[in-house]
Amino acid sequence: MRPRVRFRTSLIIAATLLLIVALLSLSLKRSPLLERVEGTVVSLAAPGLQGLRYVGRTVMGVWEGYIHLVGVQQENASLRQRLQEYEQKDLRYQEALHSLTRLESLLNLKKQVALPVTGARVIAYDPSLWSRCALLDQGQDRGVKRGHPVLTADGIVGRVVEVYPHYSKVMLIVDRNSGGDAMVQRTRVRGILQGKGGNRCSLDYVPKSADVQVGDLVLASGLGGVFPKGLVFGKVSEANKKTAGVFQEIEVTPTVDLSTLEEVAVVKVVNLATTTP
Amino acid sequence: MTIPVLLYSLVGLGLFYCQNLLLFPQVRLRLLGIFLFYVGLRPSFPLAFSLALILGVLQDSFATTPIGLHLGSSLLLVGMARFCRRRLLLQKMGPLIIASLVALTLQETGVLLILMLLGIQPFALSDLAAFRGLELLATAALAPLMAALVQGLEKLLIRYGWRALSSSTAE
Repeated sequence: MRPRVRFRTSLIIAATLLLIVALLSLSLKRSPLLERVEGTVVSLAAPGLQGLRYVGRTVMGVWEGYIHLVGVQQENASLRQRLQEYEQKDLRYQEALHSLTRLESLLNLKKQVALPVTGARVIAYDPSLWSRCALLDQGQDRGVKRGHPVLTADGIVGRVVEVYPHYSKVMLIVDRNSGGDAMVQRTRVRGILQGKGGNRCSLDYVPKSADVQVGDLVLASGLGGVFPKGLVFGKVSEANKKTAGVFQEIEVTPTVDLSTLEEVAVVKVVNLATTTP
Repeated sequence: MTIPVLLYSLVGLGLFYCQNLLLFPQVRLRLLGIFLFYVGLRPSFPLAFSLALILGVLQDSFATTPIGLHLGSSLLLVGMARFCRRRLLLQKMGPLIIASLVALTLQETGVLLILMLLGIQPFALSDLAAFRGLELLATAALAPLMAALVQGLEKLLIRYGWRALSSSTAE
Protein backbone atom coordinates (compact mmCIF):
# COMPACT_ATOMS: atom_id res chain seq x y z
CA MET A 1 0.00 0.00 0.00
CA ARG A 2 2.72 2.42 1.01
CA PRO A 3 4.75 2.27 -2.27
CA ARG A 4 1.52 2.71 -4.22
CA VAL A 5 0.67 5.83 -2.24
CA ARG A 6 4.16 7.24 -2.70
CA PHE A 7 3.96 6.52 -6.43
CA ARG A 8 0.61 8.19 -6.62
CA THR A 9 1.88 11.28 -4.81
CA SER A 10 4.84 11.55 -7.13
CA LEU A 11 2.53 11.12 -10.07
CA ILE A 12 0.24 13.86 -8.81
CA ILE A 13 3.17 16.21 -8.26
CA ALA A 14 4.57 15.48 -11.69
CA ALA A 15 1.19 15.89 -13.35
CA THR A 16 0.61 19.13 -11.51
CA LEU A 17 3.97 20.52 -12.52
CA LEU A 18 3.33 19.48 -16.08
CA LEU A 19 -0.07 21.13 -16.01
CA ILE A 20 1.36 24.35 -14.68
CA VAL A 21 4.19 24.45 -17.17
CA ALA A 22 1.80 23.66 -19.99
CA LEU A 23 -0.60 26.36 -18.88
CA LEU A 24 2.14 28.94 -18.51
CA SER A 25 3.53 28.03 -21.88
CA LEU A 26 0.14 28.21 -23.57
CA SER A 27 -0.63 31.45 -21.81
CA LEU A 28 2.59 33.04 -22.94
CA LYS A 29 1.73 31.97 -26.48
CA ARG A 30 -1.66 33.61 -26.06
CA SER A 31 -3.60 30.44 -26.61
CA PRO A 32 -7.18 31.15 -27.76
CA LEU A 33 -8.41 28.28 -25.64
CA LEU A 34 -6.94 29.77 -22.47
CA GLU A 35 -8.25 33.17 -23.41
CA ARG A 36 -11.70 31.65 -23.74
CA VAL A 37 -11.34 29.97 -20.35
CA GLU A 38 -10.20 33.24 -18.84
CA GLY A 39 -13.06 35.08 -20.48
CA THR A 40 -15.56 32.56 -19.22
CA VAL A 41 -14.26 32.74 -15.66
CA VAL A 42 -14.32 36.50 -15.70
CA SER A 43 -17.81 36.51 -17.20
CA LEU A 44 -18.99 34.23 -14.45
CA ALA A 45 -17.28 35.99 -11.56
CA ALA A 46 -17.52 39.61 -12.61
CA PRO A 47 -21.32 40.05 -12.43
CA GLY A 48 -21.26 39.05 -8.79
CA LEU A 49 -18.47 41.53 -8.17
CA GLN A 50 -20.33 44.20 -10.07
CA GLY A 51 -23.55 43.49 -8.23
CA LEU A 52 -21.86 43.51 -4.86
CA ARG A 53 -20.06 46.72 -5.70
CA TYR A 54 -23.38 48.28 -6.65
CA VAL A 55 -25.03 47.00 -3.50
CA GLY A 56 -22.07 48.19 -1.46
CA ARG A 57 -22.23 51.65 -2.98
CA THR A 58 -25.96 51.82 -2.45
CA VAL A 59 -25.65 50.69 1.15
CA MET A 60 -22.80 53.14 1.72
CA GLY A 61 -24.81 55.89 0.09
CA VAL A 62 -27.81 55.17 2.28
CA TRP A 63 -25.58 54.88 5.34
CA GLU A 64 -23.67 58.08 4.70
CA GLY A 65 -26.59 60.04 3.32
CA TYR A 66 -29.35 59.05 5.69
CA ILE A 67 -28.17 57.08 8.68
CA HIS A 68 -24.62 58.00 9.62
CA LEU A 69 -25.15 61.72 9.99
CA VAL A 70 -23.21 62.17 13.21
CA GLY A 71 -21.44 65.50 13.12
CA VAL A 72 -23.06 66.61 9.89
CA GLN A 73 -25.04 69.33 11.63
CA GLN A 74 -21.94 70.73 13.32
CA GLU A 75 -20.03 70.44 10.06
CA ASN A 76 -22.84 72.23 8.28
CA ALA A 77 -22.84 75.04 10.81
CA SER A 78 -19.08 75.34 10.64
CA LEU A 79 -19.14 75.38 6.84
CA ARG A 80 -21.91 77.98 6.83
CA GLN A 81 -19.88 80.15 9.16
CA ARG A 82 -16.81 79.80 6.96
CA LEU A 83 -18.89 80.59 3.92
CA GLN A 84 -20.14 83.75 5.56
CA GLU A 85 -16.60 84.72 6.49
CA TYR A 86 -15.48 84.20 2.93
CA GLU A 87 -18.45 86.16 1.64
CA GLN A 88 -17.52 89.04 3.92
CA LYS A 89 -13.93 88.81 2.77
CA ASP A 90 -15.03 88.75 -0.84
CA LEU A 91 -17.20 91.77 -0.18
CA ARG A 92 -14.24 93.62 1.31
CA TYR A 93 -12.06 92.67 -1.64
CA GLN A 94 -14.71 93.86 -4.06
CA GLU A 95 -15.04 97.08 -2.13
CA ALA A 96 -11.30 97.59 -2.16
CA LEU A 97 -11.24 96.92 -5.87
CA HIS A 98 -14.01 99.41 -6.51
CA SER A 99 -12.30 101.98 -4.31
CA LEU A 100 -9.10 101.44 -6.21
CA THR A 101 -10.86 101.96 -9.51
CA ARG A 102 -12.52 105.12 -8.28
CA LEU A 103 -9.32 106.49 -6.80
CA GLU A 104 -7.47 105.70 -10.01
CA SER A 105 -10.04 107.61 -11.99
CA LEU A 106 -9.75 110.50 -9.57
CA LEU A 107 -6.03 110.49 -10.05
CA ASN A 108 -6.53 110.56 -13.78
CA LEU A 109 -8.93 113.43 -13.31
CA LYS A 110 -6.34 115.30 -11.31
CA LYS A 111 -3.92 114.95 -14.20
CA GLN A 112 -6.61 115.87 -16.68
CA VAL A 113 -7.73 119.01 -14.88
CA ALA A 114 -4.17 120.17 -14.33
CA LEU A 115 -5.24 122.20 -11.33
CA PRO A 116 -4.57 121.74 -7.63
CA VAL A 117 -6.97 119.04 -6.59
CA THR A 118 -7.59 117.28 -3.32
CA GLY A 119 -9.51 114.11 -2.79
CA ALA A 120 -12.43 113.94 -0.44
CA ARG A 121 -14.99 111.45 0.69
CA VAL A 122 -18.68 112.06 0.76
CA ILE A 123 -19.75 111.29 4.29
CA ALA A 124 -23.36 112.41 4.22
CA TYR A 125 -26.22 113.64 2.08
CA ASP A 126 -29.00 116.02 2.82
CA PRO A 127 -31.98 113.77 3.21
CA SER A 128 -34.57 116.50 2.76
CA LEU A 129 -36.47 117.00 -0.47
CA TRP A 130 -35.68 120.66 -0.65
CA SER A 131 -32.07 120.70 -1.45
CA ARG A 132 -29.48 118.43 -2.99
CA CYS A 133 -26.18 118.65 -1.22
CA ALA A 134 -23.51 116.44 0.23
CA LEU A 135 -21.05 116.69 3.08
CA LEU A 136 -17.34 116.11 2.44
CA ASP A 137 -14.71 115.07 4.96
CA GLN A 138 -12.39 117.88 3.93
CA GLY A 139 -12.69 121.35 5.38
CA GLN A 140 -10.76 124.46 6.18
CA ASP A 141 -7.90 122.45 7.66
CA ARG A 142 -7.27 120.99 4.20
CA GLY A 143 -7.58 124.26 2.37
CA VAL A 144 -11.08 123.80 1.04
CA LYS A 145 -12.86 127.09 0.43
CA ARG A 146 -16.29 128.21 -0.55
CA GLY A 147 -16.78 128.15 -4.31
CA HIS A 148 -14.40 125.27 -5.01
CA PRO A 149 -15.76 123.04 -7.74
CA VAL A 150 -16.21 119.38 -6.95
CA LEU A 151 -15.74 116.73 -9.62
CA THR A 152 -15.57 113.05 -10.29
CA ALA A 153 -14.09 111.22 -13.22
CA ASP A 154 -17.55 111.09 -14.79
CA GLY A 155 -18.22 114.77 -14.59
CA ILE A 156 -19.08 117.74 -12.44
CA VAL A 157 -20.69 117.18 -9.07
CA GLY A 158 -21.23 120.66 -7.76
CA ARG A 159 -19.45 123.33 -5.77
CA VAL A 160 -18.57 123.95 -2.19
CA VAL A 161 -21.07 126.25 -0.52
CA GLU A 162 -20.15 125.87 3.13
CA VAL A 163 -16.82 125.20 4.72
CA TYR A 164 -16.29 123.97 8.27
CA PRO A 165 -13.04 123.29 10.10
CA HIS A 166 -12.99 119.65 9.07
CA TYR A 167 -15.89 119.34 6.66
CA SER A 168 -17.46 121.12 3.77
CA LYS A 169 -20.84 121.17 2.14
CA VAL A 170 -21.27 120.77 -1.58
CA MET A 171 -24.28 121.99 -3.48
CA LEU A 172 -24.92 119.48 -6.23
CA ILE A 173 -25.62 120.64 -9.76
CA VAL A 174 -29.15 119.34 -9.49
CA ASP A 175 -29.93 121.57 -6.54
CA ARG A 176 -32.48 124.20 -7.43
CA ASN A 177 -30.07 126.93 -6.36
CA SER A 178 -27.28 125.67 -8.53
CA GLY A 179 -26.45 127.35 -11.80
CA GLY A 180 -23.51 127.40 -14.13
CA ASP A 181 -22.53 128.44 -17.62
CA ALA A 182 -22.70 125.47 -19.97
CA MET A 183 -22.53 124.63 -23.64
CA VAL A 184 -23.64 121.82 -25.91
CA GLN A 185 -20.55 119.99 -27.05
CA ARG A 186 -21.68 119.26 -30.61
CA THR A 187 -22.95 122.71 -31.57
CA ARG A 188 -21.21 124.89 -28.96
CA VAL A 189 -24.58 126.42 -28.10
CA ARG A 190 -24.40 128.05 -24.69
CA GLY A 191 -26.90 128.26 -21.91
CA ILE A 192 -27.25 128.26 -18.16
CA LEU A 193 -27.40 124.90 -16.48
CA GLN A 194 -29.96 125.15 -13.73
CA GLY A 195 -30.67 122.52 -11.08
CA LYS A 196 -34.21 121.21 -11.05
CA GLY A 197 -34.14 119.02 -7.98
CA GLY A 198 -34.34 115.29 -8.00
CA ASN A 199 -31.73 114.09 -10.39
CA ARG A 200 -32.11 116.47 -13.28
CA CYS A 201 -31.11 119.90 -14.53
CA SER A 202 -32.26 122.14 -17.31
CA LEU A 203 -30.31 124.06 -19.86
CA ASP A 204 -31.95 127.48 -19.91
CA TYR A 205 -31.79 130.39 -22.26
CA VAL A 206 -31.13 128.34 -25.38
CA PRO A 207 -32.96 129.86 -28.36
CA LYS A 208 -35.34 127.71 -30.38
CA SER A 209 -33.21 128.20 -33.44
CA ALA A 210 -30.28 126.43 -31.80
CA ASP A 211 -29.57 122.83 -32.74
CA VAL A 212 -29.85 120.71 -29.63
CA GLN A 213 -30.68 117.05 -29.74
CA VAL A 214 -31.30 114.35 -27.22
CA GLY A 215 -28.02 112.71 -26.31
CA ASP A 216 -25.89 115.78 -26.81
CA LEU A 217 -23.25 116.26 -24.18
CA VAL A 218 -23.48 119.40 -22.07
CA LEU A 219 -20.13 120.69 -20.88
CA ALA A 220 -18.93 123.46 -18.62
CA SER A 221 -18.09 126.46 -20.78
CA GLY A 222 -15.56 127.80 -18.30
CA LEU A 223 -17.24 131.19 -18.31
CA GLY A 224 -18.17 132.43 -14.88
CA GLY A 225 -15.09 130.81 -13.49
CA VAL A 226 -16.88 128.26 -11.33
CA PHE A 227 -16.39 124.96 -13.19
CA PRO A 228 -13.37 123.94 -15.27
CA LYS A 229 -13.99 124.26 -18.99
CA GLY A 230 -14.72 121.11 -20.92
CA LEU A 231 -15.85 118.94 -18.02
CA VAL A 232 -19.14 117.21 -18.43
CA PHE A 233 -22.34 118.27 -16.74
CA GLY A 234 -24.58 115.72 -18.34
CA LYS A 235 -26.49 114.64 -21.40
CA VAL A 236 -29.54 116.17 -23.00
CA SER A 237 -32.39 113.85 -22.19
CA GLU A 238 -35.18 115.98 -23.61
CA ALA A 239 -35.36 118.98 -25.95
CA ASN A 240 -38.68 120.68 -26.55
CA LYS A 241 -39.15 123.57 -28.92
CA LYS A 242 -42.95 123.57 -28.83
CA THR A 243 -43.20 126.00 -25.96
CA ALA A 244 -44.23 129.54 -25.49
CA GLY A 245 -41.46 132.06 -25.58
CA VAL A 246 -38.20 132.24 -27.47
CA PHE A 247 -36.26 129.55 -25.61
CA GLN A 248 -36.30 125.80 -25.79
CA GLU A 249 -36.99 123.57 -22.84
CA ILE A 250 -33.96 121.32 -22.51
CA GLU A 251 -33.63 118.73 -19.81
CA VAL A 252 -30.19 117.52 -18.86
CA THR A 253 -29.42 114.39 -16.88
CA PRO A 254 -26.13 114.51 -15.03
CA THR A 255 -23.54 111.95 -16.10
CA VAL A 256 -22.57 111.51 -12.47
CA ASP A 257 -24.86 109.49 -10.30
CA LEU A 258 -25.23 112.08 -7.60
CA SER A 259 -26.97 109.76 -5.21
CA THR A 260 -24.12 107.30 -4.91
CA LEU A 261 -21.09 109.50 -4.60
CA GLU A 262 -18.20 108.22 -2.54
CA GLU A 263 -14.93 109.82 -3.52
CA VAL A 264 -14.74 113.21 -5.19
CA ALA A 265 -12.08 115.69 -6.15
CA VAL A 266 -12.15 119.25 -4.92
CA VAL A 267 -10.46 121.72 -7.24
CA LYS A 268 -8.74 124.22 -5.03
CA VAL A 269 -9.32 127.22 -7.21
CA VAL A 270 -12.13 129.60 -6.44
CA ASN A 271 -12.20 131.56 -9.62
CA LEU A 272 -11.08 129.57 -12.60
CA ALA A 273 -11.53 132.53 -14.86
CA THR A 274 -8.56 134.26 -13.29
CA THR A 275 -6.43 131.12 -13.11
CA THR A 276 -4.25 129.83 -15.88
CA PRO A 277 -4.09 126.03 -15.78
CA MET B 1 -17.83 15.65 -3.98
CA THR B 2 -19.47 18.23 -6.19
CA ILE B 3 -21.38 19.89 -3.41
CA PRO B 4 -18.36 20.43 -1.13
CA VAL B 5 -16.28 21.75 -4.03
CA LEU B 6 -19.08 24.08 -4.99
CA LEU B 7 -19.55 25.29 -1.43
CA TYR B 8 -15.85 25.86 -0.82
CA SER B 9 -15.54 27.55 -4.20
CA LEU B 10 -18.36 29.88 -3.32
CA VAL B 11 -16.69 30.75 -0.04
CA GLY B 12 -13.45 31.29 -1.95
CA LEU B 13 -15.32 33.51 -4.40
CA GLY B 14 -16.75 35.44 -1.45
CA LEU B 15 -13.26 35.98 -0.09
CA PHE B 16 -12.14 37.11 -3.53
CA TYR B 17 -15.02 39.58 -3.65
CA CYS B 18 -14.19 40.77 -0.13
CA GLN B 19 -10.59 41.28 -1.19
CA ASN B 20 -11.72 43.23 -4.23
CA LEU B 21 -14.44 45.31 -2.72
CA LEU B 22 -13.32 45.95 0.82
CA LEU B 23 -9.59 45.55 1.11
CA PHE B 24 -8.18 46.62 -2.24
CA PRO B 25 -6.15 48.79 -2.74
CA GLN B 26 -5.29 49.66 0.84
CA VAL B 27 -4.87 46.15 2.20
CA ARG B 28 -3.44 43.18 0.33
CA LEU B 29 -4.09 40.22 2.55
CA ARG B 30 -3.73 36.79 0.95
CA LEU B 31 -7.17 35.63 1.99
CA LEU B 32 -7.48 33.02 -0.72
CA GLY B 33 -4.01 31.71 -0.02
CA ILE B 34 -4.58 31.18 3.67
CA PHE B 35 -8.02 29.74 3.01
CA LEU B 36 -6.48 27.23 0.64
CA PHE B 37 -3.78 26.41 3.17
CA TYR B 38 -6.36 25.54 5.81
CA VAL B 39 -8.48 23.57 3.38
CA GLY B 40 -5.29 21.73 2.44
CA LEU B 41 -4.77 20.83 6.08
CA ARG B 42 -8.13 19.06 6.18
CA PRO B 43 -8.36 15.37 5.30
CA SER B 44 -9.82 15.63 1.80
CA PHE B 45 -7.06 16.09 -0.75
CA PRO B 46 -9.30 16.06 -3.85
CA LEU B 47 -11.31 18.89 -2.38
CA ALA B 48 -8.20 20.97 -1.70
CA PHE B 49 -6.79 20.19 -5.13
CA SER B 50 -10.01 21.11 -6.92
CA LEU B 51 -10.33 24.25 -4.92
CA ALA B 52 -6.74 25.21 -5.72
CA LEU B 53 -7.50 24.74 -9.40
CA ILE B 54 -10.67 26.77 -9.29
CA LEU B 55 -9.34 29.61 -7.18
CA GLY B 56 -6.07 29.64 -9.08
CA VAL B 57 -7.88 30.02 -12.39
CA LEU B 58 -10.13 32.65 -10.87
CA GLN B 59 -7.17 34.73 -9.75
CA ASP B 60 -5.36 34.17 -13.01
CA SER B 61 -8.40 35.33 -14.94
CA PHE B 62 -8.49 38.63 -13.11
CA ALA B 63 -4.75 39.21 -13.34
CA THR B 64 -2.57 40.28 -16.22
CA THR B 65 0.02 37.63 -15.44
CA PRO B 66 0.02 34.44 -17.54
CA ILE B 67 -2.57 31.83 -16.70
CA GLY B 68 -0.98 29.21 -14.52
CA LEU B 69 0.89 31.52 -12.21
CA HIS B 70 -1.74 31.75 -9.50
CA LEU B 71 -2.85 28.24 -10.27
CA GLY B 72 0.67 26.96 -9.69
CA SER B 73 1.09 28.99 -6.52
CA SER B 74 -2.26 27.71 -5.21
CA LEU B 75 -1.27 24.15 -5.87
CA LEU B 76 2.08 24.81 -4.21
CA LEU B 77 0.25 26.07 -1.16
CA VAL B 78 -1.93 22.98 -1.05
CA GLY B 79 1.17 20.83 -1.46
CA MET B 80 2.82 22.55 1.47
CA ALA B 81 -0.32 22.16 3.55
CA ARG B 82 -0.33 18.47 2.79
CA PHE B 83 3.32 18.23 3.72
CA CYS B 84 2.69 20.02 7.00
CA ARG B 85 -0.29 17.84 7.68
CA ARG B 86 1.72 14.68 7.14
CA ARG B 87 5.02 15.67 8.78
CA LEU B 88 4.06 18.09 11.54
CA LEU B 89 1.58 17.84 14.33
CA LEU B 90 -0.29 21.06 13.85
CA GLN B 91 -2.77 21.00 16.67
CA LYS B 92 -2.20 24.36 18.38
CA MET B 93 -2.73 27.77 16.90
CA GLY B 94 0.85 29.01 17.36
CA PRO B 95 2.49 26.36 15.19
CA LEU B 96 -0.39 26.72 12.73
CA ILE B 97 0.32 30.41 12.33
CA ILE B 98 4.03 29.80 11.88
CA ALA B 99 3.35 27.06 9.36
CA SER B 100 0.96 29.24 7.38
CA LEU B 101 3.47 32.08 7.44
CA VAL B 102 6.17 29.82 6.07
CA ALA B 103 3.79 28.45 3.45
CA LEU B 104 2.71 31.91 2.34
CA THR B 105 6.31 33.08 2.19
CA LEU B 106 7.26 30.09 0.11
CA GLN B 107 4.28 30.68 -2.14
CA GLU B 108 5.28 34.30 -2.60
CA THR B 109 8.85 33.30 -3.32
CA GLY B 110 7.63 30.69 -5.77
CA VAL B 111 5.52 33.25 -7.61
CA LEU B 112 8.44 35.65 -7.79
CA LEU B 113 10.69 32.88 -9.05
CA ILE B 114 8.23 31.93 -11.76
CA LEU B 115 7.87 35.58 -12.75
CA MET B 116 11.59 35.96 -12.94
CA LEU B 117 11.89 32.75 -14.97
CA LEU B 118 9.25 33.96 -17.35
CA GLY B 119 11.08 37.24 -17.72
CA ILE B 120 8.28 39.26 -16.16
CA GLN B 121 9.99 41.66 -13.82
CA PRO B 122 8.09 42.09 -10.58
CA PHE B 123 7.70 45.80 -10.03
CA ALA B 124 9.76 47.49 -7.30
CA LEU B 125 10.42 44.25 -5.53
CA SER B 126 13.05 45.63 -3.18
CA ASP B 127 10.84 48.54 -2.16
CA LEU B 128 7.90 46.32 -1.51
CA ALA B 129 9.78 43.62 0.37
CA ALA B 130 9.07 45.11 3.79
CA PHE B 131 5.42 45.72 2.98
CA ARG B 132 5.03 42.24 1.59
CA GLY B 133 6.51 40.81 4.76
CA LEU B 134 4.01 42.76 6.83
CA GLU B 135 1.17 41.66 4.61
CA LEU B 136 2.18 38.05 4.98
CA LEU B 137 2.40 38.43 8.75
CA ALA B 138 -1.05 40.00 8.88
CA THR B 139 -2.41 37.24 6.66
CA ALA B 140 -0.88 34.54 8.85
CA ALA B 141 -2.42 36.21 11.88
CA LEU B 142 -5.82 35.40 10.39
CA ALA B 143 -5.14 31.71 11.09
CA PRO B 144 -7.73 31.32 13.87
CA LEU B 145 -10.39 32.89 11.70
CA MET B 146 -9.63 30.71 8.70
CA ALA B 147 -9.38 27.58 10.80
CA ALA B 148 -12.78 28.34 12.30
CA LEU B 149 -14.22 29.04 8.86
CA VAL B 150 -12.97 25.77 7.40
CA GLN B 151 -14.14 23.80 10.40
CA GLY B 152 -17.51 25.50 10.23
CA LEU B 153 -17.89 24.58 6.57
CA GLU B 154 -16.92 21.02 7.31
CA LYS B 155 -19.47 20.78 10.10
CA LEU B 156 -22.12 22.16 7.81
CA LEU B 157 -21.32 19.56 5.17
CA ILE B 158 -21.29 16.77 7.73
CA ARG B 159 -24.73 17.87 8.91
CA TYR B 160 -25.99 17.43 5.35
CA GLY B 161 -24.45 14.00 5.01
CA TRP B 162 -21.07 14.65 3.45
CA ARG B 163 -18.19 12.90 5.16
CA ALA B 164 -14.70 14.15 4.64
CA LEU B 165 -12.36 11.48 3.42
CA SER B 166 -10.09 10.22 6.13
CA SER B 167 -6.39 10.85 6.04
CA SER B 168 -5.60 7.26 5.32
CA THR B 169 -8.02 6.91 2.44
CA ALA B 170 -7.06 10.23 0.98
CA GLU B 171 -3.42 9.43 0.80
